[in-house]
Amino acid sequence: MAATESEHIHHGQAHAEEHGGHSGGHYPGMWVFPNPRQMTRDMAARLSSMPGMMTLGLLLTFGLLVLGIVGFVARAAADGFDDRAPWGYYMATFSFVFMITSGAPVAAVAFRFTKSHWRRPLSRVSELFAVVGIFNIITFIPMMLILPPILNPDTSHIGAHELEIRRTIWFEGPIGAPHAWDLAGIVGLAVTSLFILWLSAVPDMAEARNTAGGFRGWLYRLLAGHWYGTKRQWNAQKAGLALLGAFYFMLLVFVQFIISSDYAQSMIPGYKDAIFPVFYTLTGFQCALGMCLIILYVMRRWGGYGEYYGKSVFWAASKVLLGLTLLWAYHLFSFFITYWYGRLFLEQNVIKYLMGDSYGGVFTANVALSFVIPFLLLLWNPVRRSAWGPPLAGLSAILGALMFSVRMFVGGANSGNVYAAFLDYVPAPVYPDIWDIFMVIGGIGGAAFVYLVATRILPVLSVWEVKEGALYQRMSRFIKGDYLVLAKPE
Amino acid sequence: MQEGRTPIPYRQINSELLVSILRSPKWFAIATIILGLIVLGGFSAAGYLVNKGFGVTGLNRPVMWGFFITNFVFWIGISHAGVMLSAILRLSKAEWRRPATRAAEILTVFSLMTAMMMPLIHTGRPWRTIYWIYTIPFMPYDYARGIWPNVRSPLVWDPSAVYTYLTSSILFVLVALIPDFAVLRDRTTGMSHRIYTILAMGWRGNPRQWKLQIIAGVLLSALILPVFVSVHSIVSWDFGMAVSVKTWHSTIFAPYFVVGAVHSGVSAVAFVMIILRYIYGWQNYIRPEHIDALGRLLIVVATGWFYFFVMEILFGFYGREADELAVRDLQFMQNPWNIWMMVFVFTTYFLPVALWLPRAFRRNLWIMSTACISVNIGMWLERFIIIVPGLQNKQVFTFSWYTVYTPSAVEWAIIGATFALVSLLMIVIARVLPLIPLYDIKEYEVLRTEVKIGRVSVPAVYRED
Repeated sequence: MAATESEHIHHGQAHAEEHGGHSGGHYPGMWVFPNPRQMTRDMAARLSSMPGMMTLGLLLTFGLLVLGIVGFVARAAADGFDDRAPWGYYMATFSFVFMITSGAPVAAVAFRFTKSHWRRPLSRVSELFAVVGIFNIITFIPMMLILPPILNPDTSHIGAHELEIRRTIWFEGPIGAPHAWDLAGIVGLAVTSLFILWLSAVPDMAEARNTAGGFRGWLYRLLAGHWYGTKRQWNAQKAGLALLGAFYFMLLVFVQFIISSDYAQSMIPGYKDAIFPVFYTLTGFQCALGMCLIILYVMRRWGGYGEYYGKSVFWAASKVLLGLTLLWAYHLFSFFITYWYGRLFLEQNVIKYLMGDSYGGVFTANVALSFVIPFLLLLWNPVRRSAWGPPLAGLSAILGALMFSVRMFVGGANSGNVYAAFLDYVPAPVYPDIWDIFMVIGGIGGAAFVYLVATRILPVLSVWEVKEGALYQRMSRFIKGDYLVLAKPE
Repeated sequence: MQEGRTPIPYRQINSELLVSILRSPKWFAIATIILGLIVLGGFSAAGYLVNKGFGVTGLNRPVMWGFFITNFVFWIGISHAGVMLSAILRLSKAEWRRPATRAAEILTVFSLMTAMMMPLIHTGRPWRTIYWIYTIPFMPYDYARGIWPNVRSPLVWDPSAVYTYLTSSILFVLVALIPDFAVLRDRTTGMSHRIYTILAMGWRGNPRQWKLQIIAGVLLSALILPVFVSVHSIVSWDFGMAVSVKTWHSTIFAPYFVVGAVHSGVSAVAFVMIILRYIYGWQNYIRPEHIDALGRLLIVVATGWFYFFVMEILFGFYGREADELAVRDLQFMQNPWNIWMMVFVFTTYFLPVALWLPRAFRRNLWIMSTACISVNIGMWLERFIIIVPGLQNKQVFTFSWYTVYTPSAVEWAIIGATFALVSLLMIVIARVLPLIPLYDIKEYEVLRTEVKIGRVSVPAVYRED
């Protein structure tokens, strides 16, 4: 088997070299065929040394995290947790970080399901976001304090257009709702994604347990357990990844539904929008894929991973990103046309608040960054085929998601009386103060810091998956040119 | 990818896939007569309705949309199979799509034609439908009364979207058919030969023609996608824009309808493929792994649909508005709607998904047929449950108008005839066009190969990118 594998790889490499880096009808750098033996050694060497860029990144993100903690403490000291209004930007930051980091592992899960070979170099990059799940749990704790109770506390003075029980997806409020359920959801996501990461990394850790030294060696020996790569173990690992992946996906959709509903939709009186949870999840997937592509690009451009990340990853992922971008616009339009055409006074106020008079500027930036720019970029084949185009579109989508979180969550926090039956006026927009800015950059920096720490423990390349992919893909002569042969086991 | 199948020579592909055209099966005449009679019965019922007026239906205030509109939405839904399978799977380079595309595209065209008959019949005076869209200066009646088409109405967007979809679907089918027309041109004589010669448009199969044909296919696939999404979205907005009907004014209706349409459409195509395999003996082309792949796709689509369904229902309750809760009460608590609701959810999601989950079941054609029929029964009921209970509670002060909608024999006859019509058109078209694309199958034969990994041979294909 090993002989066949290396034959295929060398065959492909030989052809690629013969044709000056690309073969037949293929584009330069589209496909790479890494040497499996070198790959293991290379990954071990990369983890054992600390590049200067990485040290700088860790210091920078840690500095941002400290700023965030300062902002948080200052906000808590000044305003306490009784009123949700001052915490709008904190909620927006949590939403932004959560939607990206919890959505990212889906890239590995979904494309593993569809048996897409191009996903192999991307898998670990996306799975490593599981570690940021711990950061999400910590940052969610203050969010529980901010959330107003479901029952109107002031039942003795309920006004004409005020509700005894505010509108939530929890209705009369099952035990612990919404706080305990939200927390359980976020903890569940973190634990499941960590399990997925562990299960996916077991073969790589087992391979490296005898060569890695120090803490990493101890950790690998502990986590790799009795993995020897028997057929039974491989089958169990793949079945486990499939089952956990399906569970994670369903749990994620549920948790994103409750978070988006509890902290945005149900905070705005009279705002009833069945498409909003779907839209939130879509935004999460769009920028999560964008984030994975940015990391891939950085690692390829500056991290020396060029021989592992071919352009095919960007090319294939760009089509998915384009699809998600179009779906984003479609869902936004579906909401807008229904509200706008309906001409109901109360719905018009919601539109004016979130898309017009109050947060119109933020909304415009949101649409430009989440849809217009990525769409215009990804429309072009040469851009989609490049290594820089899809990450650039991804970056735009991420900034768009930040705008989205600001208008929905800051808007939700500052929409007045949460027990009002409807929004009978258009509240004014709220702009960030210095502590808000600290919390926003601190939240983003903190998540980035945790991710960077994770990359020092596990390689950002799923070695076994890339090796497996090399068995299924090779270059081969076909009529007059060399073409990729792609095998898919049923 | 096809597992462990030996290569099929071109000659065999031609003879086996053109069997439906070059030879007349014994059952064809009988099936045509039976289906034709049912269609004739349906047209007679429609004629009777036009002659006598709407009193012959069960429709009455406030339930003025019933079986016809339900059936319209249903057939529009079925039409979404063509683009889903043909365009999306072509763009995503799914190899298993090849035998399914043509039947899906043809089913799209016929179901769209059938769907558009429904609102025409529903008007009661079909000839006056023209005034929805155009004002004709020399046709005095409506013009004189100042009845102008209201371009702001979803009822005007609807035919625009559907006819655009119909036109582009026909174009899509015809472009894909050109190489197969050329094969037929070379194997027929007389009048057939002359017709196929015209349809083949000078196709000789040279590299330039192939290149143009492939580019046209890809471009049309990309261009038809927005039309595909817009059609059912606009159909959903026929409902969603009506703020007076509680439960209809929902922001999620557009994607919910589109996913539902794909669910029913792909299920219908899977069923049609199983039937084609059985009646024409196309075991070499429609193989269990193709049906298996459709089954896996359907699990994803069905689960996506179920998510949208749950969101739609949940946010119906979320508002806690008395009028909307009254409709929900009708749908979930009151007989017979609660029974229909249970049947609908069970047949649309729980039964088929349970049947699709085990691999062995997905490869059992009887079980797959059952699951696919079940989905379509459920999806028809879904539209019925959305339309009628909402209308029954339309206005607060119309309690004296309250009627329980009971479809009449005329409506049943027309609805039954639409199913017969689509079946009839499918078996007739199978006598004229190959329902499995010959060139697509041949292309796969050229591109297929195997990769040896240890002692195992894994099916593979050559890829350009």
